Amino acid sequence: MNLLCVGISHHTAPLDVRERLWFSSEETRRTLPLLRSLGTGECVLFSTCNRTEVYVLTENNIVPSEEIKKILIAQKSAQGKVQPSDLFTLTAGEAARHLFRVSAGIDSMVLGDVQILAQVKEGFSLANELGTAGFFMNRLFQLAFRAGKRARTETEIGDGAVSVSYAAVELAEKIFDDLQKKAALVIGAGETADLTATHLRGKEIGKLLITNRTQERAEQLAAKVQGVVIPFENWFDTLLEVDILISSVEVNRYVLTASDIQRILKHRGNKTLFVVDIGVPRNIDPEIKNIENVFLYDLDNLHLMVEENLQKRQTEIPKVEAIITEILAELTHWYSSLEVNPTITALTQFMENIRREELAKNINRFDPKDRELVELVTKRIINKIVHAPIVNLKSGKEISLGDRLQKMSAIQKLFGLTGPHKEDSDAE
Amino acid sequence: MIGTFNYLLPLFYFSLVWTYGKAFFADKPWAKHAKTPILICTILFHLLALVMRTIVFRHPPVTSIFEIFTVLACSISITYFIIELRSQRKETGYFILNIAFFFQLASSLFIKSTSEVPEILRSPLFGIHVSSALLGYAAITIAGAYSFMYLMLYHEMKAIQFGVIYKKLPTLETLERMTFTAVILAFLLLSAAILFGFIWLNRAIADPNYFDPKLIGTILIWTMYGFLVITRMFYGWKGRKVMILSIAGFLISLFSMTIINIFFSRFHKFY
Repeated sequence: MNLLCVGISHHTAPLDVRERLWFSSEETRRTLPLLRSLGTGECVLFSTCNRTEVYVLTENNIVPSEEIKKILIAQKSAQGKVQPSDLFTLTAGEAARHLFRVSAGIDSMVLGDVQILAQVKEGFSLANELGTAGFFMNRLFQLAFRAGKRARTETEIGDGAVSVSYAAVELAEKIFDDLQKKAALVIGAGETADLTATHLRGKEIGKLLITNRTQERAEQLAAKVQGVVIPFENWFDTLLEVDILISSVEVNRYVLTASDIQRILKHRGNKTLFVVDIGVPRNIDPEIKNIENVFLYDLDNLHLMVEENLQKRQTEIPKVEAIITEILAELTHWYSSLEVNPTITALTQFMENIRREELAKNINRFDPKDRELVELVTKRIINKIVHAPIVNLKSGKEISLGDRLQKMSAIQKLFGLTGPHKEDSDAE
Repeated sequence: MIGTFNYLLPLFYFSLVWTYGKAFFADKPWAKHAKTPILICTILFHLLALVMRTIVFRHPPVTSIFEIFTVLACSISITYFIIELRSQRKETGYFILNIAFFFQLASSLFIKSTSEVPEILRSPLFGIHVSSALLGYAAITIAGAYSFMYLMLYHEMKAIQFGVIYKKLPTLETLERMTFTAVILAFLLLSAAILFGFIWLNRAIADPNYFDPKLIGTILIWTMYGFLVITRMFYGWKGRKVMILSIAGFLISLFSMTIINIFFSRFHKFY
């Protein structure tokens, strides 16, 4: 048997190709039964904005990767637009390692991406629901979830903002205790203003005011982020009450100068003001950063912060790789313990040991002339006991590989043939 | 035996500060796990040392500046431990416990072993006066430490340098709130210390000198903390200036406890 991974990602294809192979959950539901017929009945498919990947457990070492590619392309009617060569194929340990790297966020376009683990979990859940994730996939994905969880808790791979808009919100969180008790004003309704306002809403900002020269766009953004629209000509008055000011408009002169701030601060009771200028050219007079209790950050500052965070994440990769290697070793150990012949040998040996021990303890109770017969009879009993399980384990053709693996695992656990398995706590 | 306690206490505090430092600056997992248990052990050992000292010398260790230093170190550690338990924030320990280490080291180096205590120090009023003053100084120390952390984070954020301070310390608002809580406590405890001190002074000393430098210093410190409380509560003073005042208050208190007490005070030293 073999594990196979076929997929497309930002490493192998550009966005216009990748997007053609993006599977919604409905499309995944339709595709999984087709993929199941290729292998052993165990398969998982998941799609994120930067990748679509299929994991299949195959019965033998013949790898049906070309068939999988054809199914994926056909299901999305992308013949001619997506070439089989746009997809990659990985097998066995490399496929498992890849899944662990994906779950840990080190294969993502944005290094340390925190969303990916949830998306992998979602894909696995769907396969579980449809019955295509069996005994093997269960184990494989639980280990993948553990890799993702450990990467996030034991390393700093997901630490620090890696986008300008999120960096602004992260800075606000370093100044203010509870954003729910704070008010923010967003000047502008462009893409960056939109993203920053969305992040602020995501952090449950207490009050979110939106203003823009074009009132209609401000209203659209306000509707999206549950904000309140302020007429553009009145936004200055709101500075008395806001704690956070985000400015992202196209202007020829500063919308806020140092003397404006000085004037306002007198009436604000020394309340800290956090200002983010993400406009080009700059919207806010840079001199205001010299005013006490006012924190000003511009695009360059935020880019620098993002760059530093990305560099920090890069240095964490070896730690994540070490975790993955450790988990991969666990998978390999578990997998090799499920080979048929070693299991049968272990079972027979286990029975034989019991027979010998009991015989050694009790042989003197038998007449010397009967001892040979006792030896023979006990051997026959043991052989008969192990006969049925051995036949069952060896006759794997009529049952799926996953079921056979499950049987072997059950026998090992029941008779204590291997050490106790470490159960995962990452199960959904 | 008291001598052994004296040698061991700074070592306990050193290992405590070192562990908190390793957890803060080097992110060592073992240090993160070990720091609170080491803090508990240090506090228990310190309490035992204080009890033993009281038994051996037959008076509570508050009769000389260096006895007071060791009690102050213990008070700071206990107060910090309560803050850590309540807030579950363990990042500030390094900065606060360093001060406790300093007080303990100074105490261990210069403390005298004596059973001789002037009779006037055996009054219960004196006990209340000293206890509230010590707790007040512990609160002043903690307020100073939080203000110092606030200023470090403030400057790092203003200078757009996102180093270990930025990463590890709580938010500016949290540090400000903790500072102010400690300032209020310091003000209340100093008020009690001054009140009981005056009552005790009139009973213990026939013709007390109300212009003793120590007394004037204490009143100045009390006024300063009162000013901080009033400006914050009624005028909304916040931010950097308040933190600078809090640190200044701590430094003046330190000066009053050491230099003024040792070299200038006439009645406020008893050894």
